[in-house]
Amino acid sequence: MESNKKYWKGLEEYNNTPDFVKNNKNEFAEPIPIEDVLNEAGLSTVTPRRDFLKALGFGLGAVTLAACQSTPLKKSIPYLVKPEEVTPGIPNYYTSSFNGQSILVKTREGRPIKIEPNPNAGVFNCGTDARAQASVLDLYDVSKLKSPVLKSKEATWSEVDTFVKSELAKAQVSGKKIRLVSSTVNSPSTNAVIAEFIAKYPAAKLVQYDAVSYTGIIQANQNSFGKAVLPKYNFDKADLIVSFSADFLGTWISGEEFTAQYTANRNYKSLENKKMSRHIQIESGMSLTGTNADTRVPVKLSEQGPALIALYNAITGQALPGGTLPNNATADKVIKLVAKELLQAKGKSIVVCGSNDVSTQILVNAINAAIGSYGTTIDLDNPCYLYAGNDAEFNGLVAEMSRGEVGAVLFLNSNPAYDYIDSKKFTDALNKVPAKISFADRSDETASICDAIAIDHNYLESWGDANAYEGYYSIVQPTINPVFNSRQAEESLLVWADAPVKDYYQFVRNNWETKMLPALGLKWNDVLEKGAVTVAAKTAVAYSFSLSLAAVATSIVNSSKGLAKDVELQVYENIPMRDGKNANNAFLQELPDPVSKVTWDNYVAIAPKYAEKLKIKEFDVVTVKGNNGYSIDLPVLIQPGQAQGTASIALGYGRTKVGKAGNDVGKNAFPFVSFVNGTMQYATSVTITPTGATYELAQTQTHHSFEGRNVIREASFKEYLKNPAAGTGKSEEGHKNYDLWDKYEQPGNSWVMAIDLNACTGCGSCIVACNVENNIPVVGRDEVRRRREMHWIRIDRYYSYETPTGDVTREKEIAKLEDLDNVSVVHQPMLCQHCDHAPCETVCPVLATVHSSDGLNHMAYNRCVGTRYCANNCPYKVRRFNWFNYWNDSRFDNYLNNEFTQLVLNPDVTTRSRGVMEKCSMCIQRIQAGKLKAKIEKRPLKDGDIKMACQEACSANAIIFGDANDPNSEVSKALRSERIYYVLEEINVKPGIGYMTKIRNTDTTVQA
Amino acid sequence: MSGHNESILREPLITGDNITYAKITDDILGPVENKPNKAWWIGFIFASLGALLWVVAVSYTFWNGIGAWGLNKTVGWAWDITGFVWWVGIGHAGTLISAVLLLFRQNWRNSINRSAEAMTIFAVICAATYVVSHMGRPWLAYWVLPLPNQFGSLWVNFNSPLVWDMFAISTYFSVSLLFWYTGLLPDIATIRDRAVGTRRKIYSIFSFGWSGSVKTWQRFEAVSLILAGISTPLVLSVHTIVSMDFATSVIPGWHTTIFPPYFVAGAIFSGFAMVLTLLLVARKVLGLENYITMFHIESMNKIIILTGSIVGVAYLTEFFIAWYSGSEYEQYAFINRSTGPYWWAYWMMMTCNVISPQLLWFKKIRLSIRATWILSIVVNIGMWFERFVIIVTSLHRDYIPSSWAMFSPTWVDVSVFVGSIGLFFTLFLLFLRVLPSIAIAEVKLLLKSASEQAKMKQIKEGHENKEYVTEYVESLEKFDSVKQEEYAKI
Repeated sequence: MESNKKYWKGLEEYNNTPDFVKNNKNEFAEPIPIEDVLNEAGLSTVTPRRDFLKALGFGLGAVTLAACQSTPLKKSIPYLVKPEEVTPGIPNYYTSSFNGQSILVKTREGRPIKIEPNPNAGVFNCGTDARAQASVLDLYDVSKLKSPVLKSKEATWSEVDTFVKSELAKAQVSGKKIRLVSSTVNSPSTNAVIAEFIAKYPAAKLVQYDAVSYTGIIQANQNSFGKAVLPKYNFDKADLIVSFSADFLGTWISGEEFTAQYTANRNYKSLENKKMSRHIQIESGMSLTGTNADTRVPVKLSEQGPALIALYNAITGQALPGGTLPNNATADKVIKLVAKELLQAKGKSIVVCGSNDVSTQILVNAINAAIGSYGTTIDLDNPCYLYAGNDAEFNGLVAEMSRGEVGAVLFLNSNPAYDYIDSKKFTDALNKVPAKISFADRSDETASICDAIAIDHNYLESWGDANAYEGYYSIVQPTINPVFNSRQAEESLLVWADAPVKDYYQFVRNNWETKMLPALGLKWNDVLEKGAVTVAAKTAVAYSFSLSLAAVATSIVNSSKGLAKDVELQVYENIPMRDGKNANNAFLQELPDPVSKVTWDNYVAIAPKYAEKLKIKEFDVVTVKGNNGYSIDLPVLIQPGQAQGTASIALGYGRTKVGKAGNDVGKNAFPFVSFVNGTMQYATSVTITPTGATYELAQTQTHHSFEGRNVIREASFKEYLKNPAAGTGKSEEGHKNYDLWDKYEQPGNSWVMAIDLNACTGCGSCIVACNVENNIPVVGRDEVRRRREMHWIRIDRYYSYETPTGDVTREKEIAKLEDLDNVSVVHQPMLCQHCDHAPCETVCPVLATVHSSDGLNHMAYNRCVGTRYCANNCPYKVRRFNWFNYWNDSRFDNYLNNEFTQLVLNPDVTTRSRGVMEKCSMCIQRIQAGKLKAKIEKRPLKDGDIKMACQEACSANAIIFGDANDPNSEVSKALRSERIYYVLEEINVKPGIGYMTKIRNTDTTVQA
Repeated sequence: MSGHNESILREPLITGDNITYAKITDDILGPVENKPNKAWWIGFIFASLGALLWVVAVSYTFWNGIGAWGLNKTVGWAWDITGFVWWVGIGHAGTLISAVLLLFRQNWRNSINRSAEAMTIFAVICAATYVVSHMGRPWLAYWVLPLPNQFGSLWVNFNSPLVWDMFAISTYFSVSLLFWYTGLLPDIATIRDRAVGTRRKIYSIFSFGWSGSVKTWQRFEAVSLILAGISTPLVLSVHTIVSMDFATSVIPGWHTTIFPPYFVAGAIFSGFAMVLTLLLVARKVLGLENYITMFHIESMNKIIILTGSIVGVAYLTEFFIAWYSGSEYEQYAFINRSTGPYWWAYWMMMTCNVISPQLLWFKKIRLSIRATWILSIVVNIGMWFERFVIIVTSLHRDYIPSSWAMFSPTWVDVSVFVGSIGLFFTLFLLFLRVLPSIAIAEVKLLLKSASEQAKMKQIKEGHENKEYVTEYVESLEKFDSVKQEEYAKI
């Protein structure tokens, strides 16, 4: 309703006086003295104090208001519609598989950030290796291509599809061959896809090519038993393990699985049952497995064949020619004793050999048959499908290509331009192929010379499955939408094959639902939930060996003779780099080699005495020249335990087109591999000449002996049987301690750890697991050289030398030893000990590191001013200082200095700025999460609810974490073991981590 | 005018004839009131270039992080704390001379205390810069102070020796500064009285209205004595607490109860050496031979032999105790010091600190200005190495052999240290230009009783025992500032 009321400003208006009428015409009733103010006199008037203060007040207020802008905003996108399964702050776990092993992928807000082992993983009920742990970083690799490439230009998928289809059709029509080169394919669905592809293009064939091949074993089994398979090895069933150069705890076939089997007979639980297997390693280079052996005998590469013949002769009483070791009396003696031991342990022993030579493996089969391994420790009826590559087939393909017979070639998960023995021969041959297609995720050595790169998903973006063992199937499911414009290789193949089902998810599901699930009585979702299914295993049968070995022995002897000249070189896979496929992974590059502790490089490993003989010192750069004329310059590493007259170089280095972190790290050793008798041989002879230059390798440990200190305590199995506390120093008279500090109660939990030195193999996957979990920066080669790596957990590796008068552990005494071949090695995981009387805590001036009521030593990064006194005063030297702003400083751009890769960071753990100390937090975020979960579920915390990242990754179960206040927790039980000792307990810092003595099964019934 | 005569047996503390109060003032204020000479300019240019290097190196460290230094996961302190302890040690002589010798009525201190105290202040400034710059996040250095705060009222850790250290150094610095400045008041007033214009205004402010009345002097004397009383425990406490930075740790080679006395002796040792290094040059360049005489130099040399020998005994005791303790880590730490990778540093320390100062037993060397000057520098090199040996060789091989590492300095480490020397000399040279380098008032006290001319007068009066006179004359032979021919006549 409109109001008609009228209000007056005053009586003047009411009365409407003439004055008012007159004045009301103007805007202002009274004239404003603008002229007065603006004339000269006005401007020169003195500002009164009040006006000044007013202006000042206004000015100040205005400036203050203007400055009241909020702090710079960070972009973040909230969920408009929150996905049902995603709760910010709560991780989701999905099953998937990595290299055939079923795993769990931890995702946060849709980002995969951590790999965990799947507790339902069947045969792979073990930890995960360093590669699996580091693999999340590959997803966020900026070196990857962002869209498919056609003729070196970014293209759309339809352009690529048109090109590839027309090329494939052309090849098919012209009668030329189409070849799909892949590393071993054990995925049922992928195989089905390939079958569809071949159905469309009958000229196509799959060629399986593994950079490091096991063709020798497969063909030997075909030859000996008519089964072209890799057997399933059961190290857990072996009381006696004899390995000839097989690094079965590390890189050989399935290291993590074997580690779990192996340690089952050697860990504290087994020892409590008075049981421990015995392990003899006969090898040239010092492998991770060799470092764990009870008895290790270095032999030359050329002596390995004769040693096997000698062993065979000694076991069977036959007299194959060539079974003599004239230049190695120790090995000769040991072989005879080993034969006796093997016969004693008949049916409970195993002989494995790392050679890829068919004849050698046939001989090993004969030995295993003679000692009754088949059906017990070796299972040929449930074979392993992890490796099926055929060296001769790929060699044949190169020949076909160079003859121009191949019309199109596709590379799936393979990179022969880098890892083939003769890269030039391969690329020349490849250039004769009209259509070259790669599925690589980056423009790698092979992809860069291909016509099209149909970029594949990362496995964390993929659907798929795997069949690692007979009857063992695992699922691969995506945990994130494809980040780039990539397409799964299988889907590409389906598209090119014009298959009816092109969506690979649908394809995999159909494949499972039609072929596998009905038989298993499972539903698709069950499989996704479990991650892996195991079909009842077939009964393993014993196999007898009945062939003549004469030709085999001759072949072995001839190969040995061929090797025995100049320096015998072994090229091998090391744990961090393996075959070099993950060379751009900074976590792996900075993971120290478990034996040499070298990061970011490969090197020539030479025995100390042999180096003296060659007048070579550590870090001298030498030229290594092979038979085929290939030569590389590499620095020398003095490797105790390396056989005299031999050298070892790791494969997987010297990539040129892998990305920022991995390019030109080390040198490529694949060209030293040779193709002999139908298989790839990883032993050859080379010449070594010093160049006069030196090159410092970046090692995380540079002192290798433990100086007789009781940080390492060990005993022999015989001593252990007599007294379980042998070697712990406990039997000695007790020592009364007096404390300066008050004892604090730990009423709730008391978090502690037990570490079994007899279980730990030193593989280092805990290091990578910790890196990923705790956002530990990678610092690069130069910083490692300056001894500044940031790892919160490290594995100390010490060499000692056995002499007739006892073990020599002191540097100065070692220098005087003549014989340095009898090395024994111990690995000791070292991390913050969370001392109850922590020396770091008392010295911090600002209370940045303090103790919690549950026994943890906390580090408050925000409070740290960086005096570094805590690190100086830490007797274990486990504290790490941020010398620079590693995670966000362009000088340390190994991987993390971009927003995309930073998505790999664990949001539960803050990144640390420069000038701040850090160290193992006992995965405090996991402890908190576990407590919270129990609280929400209104139940007390159970033992095993909380697991450390290092503990989960450990296949050997060497790390046991838990609550010491719970007398029934696994850790409490472990800490009651007689073998427990505390490192540096004599300085009364009251460490929270108990170590169990290293036990060596050296005293056998058969005396060496 | 002869109130009382000092024994003729005492050597004179001021030499030269025709020394009057006015001459003393003129002589000492020469450098303050006149334009600097060439020698000063050369010294100042070099020193300020050094100071500039310090600014560059410290800025570089602040900008990039402590990673610019050569430290690593095992050796968390090296040149930084070596430099810190070295400078704090050098600062010690000043307090000892000004406070302890005052309480013991050692009048010879009157000629050297001013410079020694100035040296203390500047050395402690150099040390303090290390305290801040060695921190990972130096912008938060104030967190080591127990200030009221809003971090949930987070307090400092009173268990930490670094907190004790912060208290010790700041107390030491403030007391030293106060003592020094109080002593300067009459001298600043002297400059004021002789100056004109702006200079007069400035010095007038800084003289705090000194009137020279009897009451002022009386209070001045009282305050000096009180401050001397307060300072005396500091002589012992500061380096004791600095040594606790190491002694309270668990690191073999650090965890030692001998550290407090050993560090104090070492500090006095290096402090006197630095006083000698400075004054031997200043005396010549500024023409102060009559006030800083051979007697002073010899006295300081004697203190150097004494403290050097104490340090030597401490080194040997450490070895004995390491053996006697039966602790393998302790034993290894010491064997490693003398025969390990850093053996050269250890033997450098032993040679410079224990062996070469023993040369001062020879009177000829003790009285040779050149030899004394060289030895004083050698001592300070040795004392730097002592701290390097204690810090680096203890840390680089401690308990767990896997972490053993070597330390090698970067250019930044070297520049921060060399630069701090530049900073020190810059400050000292500026001091020489603006303030009297010798305590004028205190030296004047000695003129009537302990000067050569007063003694000459005594001899001439003829009441002195002839034997004593002969002995006195003989003692004068070492003085380079005494005209020996005068005495030949007697």
